[in-house]
Amino acid sequence: MLVAWNYHYRNSPMDHIDPRARWIFSFAFLFAVTQTWNPQLLAGLFAIALVWYAMGRVSWKDARRGWLLISFMLFSMIVVNTIITGGGAGGVVPPGGQLVWPDGFSLFGRHLTYGLTVERLWFAISQLMRILGISLLFILIPYTMDSRAYGATFSKLGLPDRLAYTMELAFRFIPSLARNLAVTLDAQKARGFELEKVRGGLIKKIARIAPLLIPLTMNAILSSEDIANAMDLRGFGQRKRTWLFALQYHWWDWVLIAFSVVLLVGVTVLVHALGMGGFAVPAWFYTFFAG
Amino acid sequence: MEEKKSIWKFGTREVVYAAIGAALYAVLTYALNFLQLPGTGNVTMRPAIVIPMFFGIAFGPIVGFIAGFVGNILADLLSGYGFWFWWDLGNGIVGLLPGLFSALIVNYRAGKSILLAELSVILGSGLGMGLASVSERWVSGADWNTVLVANFLPAFLTDIANGLVLLPLLMVAFAAVINRSGRG
Repeated sequence: MLVAWNYHYRNSPMDHIDPRARWIFSFAFLFAVTQTWNPQLLAGLFAIALVWYAMGRVSWKDARRGWLLISFMLFSMIVVNTIITGGGAGGVVPPGGQLVWPDGFSLFGRHLTYGLTVERLWFAISQLMRILGISLLFILIPYTMDSRAYGATFSKLGLPDRLAYTMELAFRFIPSLARNLAVTLDAQKARGFELEKVRGGLIKKIARIAPLLIPLTMNAILSSEDIANAMDLRGFGQRKRTWLFALQYHWWDWVLIAFSVVLLVGVTVLVHALGMGGFAVPAWFYTFFAG
Repeated sequence: MEEKKSIWKFGTREVVYAAIGAALYAVLTYALNFLQLPGTGNVTMRPAIVIPMFFGIAFGPIVGFIAGFVGNILADLLSGYGFWFWWDLGNGIVGLLPGLFSALIVNYRAGKSILLAELSVILGSGLGMGLASVSERWVSGADWNTVLVANFLPAFLTDIANGLVLLPLLMVAFAAVINRSGRG
């Protein structure tokens, strides 16, 4: 089995931003956007997310798999739930409202009535701006952040060394565990194990994974003893750790961090001090459904 | 059997176990992604979820939490799905809760230990997937019906099914490894 990271250097603006500044901005955006349903604020934040995504220069071919998953999630959440079933819209949209088709509509010669309101339709657009905005930021990470940077980044962001190193170590274990998985799978196949043809009910399917799962897990635990001993012999954890992957802030990173703080504080003040966070339908949107 | 030490210890061994657990969870999730449940959105069957549960039971709550939290991040990074903090946190809790029971489990083959581990699977999955699902309320504005039917139930039911079936098998195998390697 081939396990490969999705990152490669693209010489994009994103490649020149310090990973710490990127995480700070991404979380500031996440906490800002989840505070509000205000259409102007959401539109502004969505525009920022679009610019951010464009800075990554990630091609459709690269990110296709991730976007398929997000499209499926958006479809089930917005089209099925908010528009088709109208399941309450999260308690955000007040009951009642103006019907999109007050007199019903005709489809294949049959007259149909459907209770979709303008307010719920706008809520679907707001949901789209919010979820897509978050997705635009976070889907970029695997494609534009070097896997060697994670340990150093989280350590420099204040995570204890042991935790940061755990993350670093986990990244390093992945290729060897993937190879072990392939070897175990081949060995079990030689004994008649057929993972690709797992049939039967849920419990049977799960239980049939055991011949793959158990040897792989036990081998990993046994080999980890040697690694822990080697780390102890080299004095792991005795002093502050240094990182091979060097991180350095540039002036544009400080600008991004300052922007992140302004964004989060600004949205928080607008929402909580000035009461601008509530759901509202812009007046111009009603004109599409007048008469 | 070895007498249990503090469940909150995080020394060199725990660093390695947590990293191995996270990497195992990521690799197995990535490899077994084809076992997708029909009609459940982005929730896969994920038999690999038993890894954080088992690492929690065997090595304590911190190791279990990291195996779930970091493992889910790595699995999503490998698959190109991005970064979904609340679901990562939920997966961490799925490993953390069994870890809280680890002090009570000394003999991994004993019926009482397996029952406790099974109980921890239900509690951990309920709390972890509950938190992750409820986060959709404030992240994406989903209503309670969506949270329950589309997010929580598929994730919770598959997690406990995987945990209840596979965790005892891993525990019994681990007991044999402990005996054979002379660590008992």
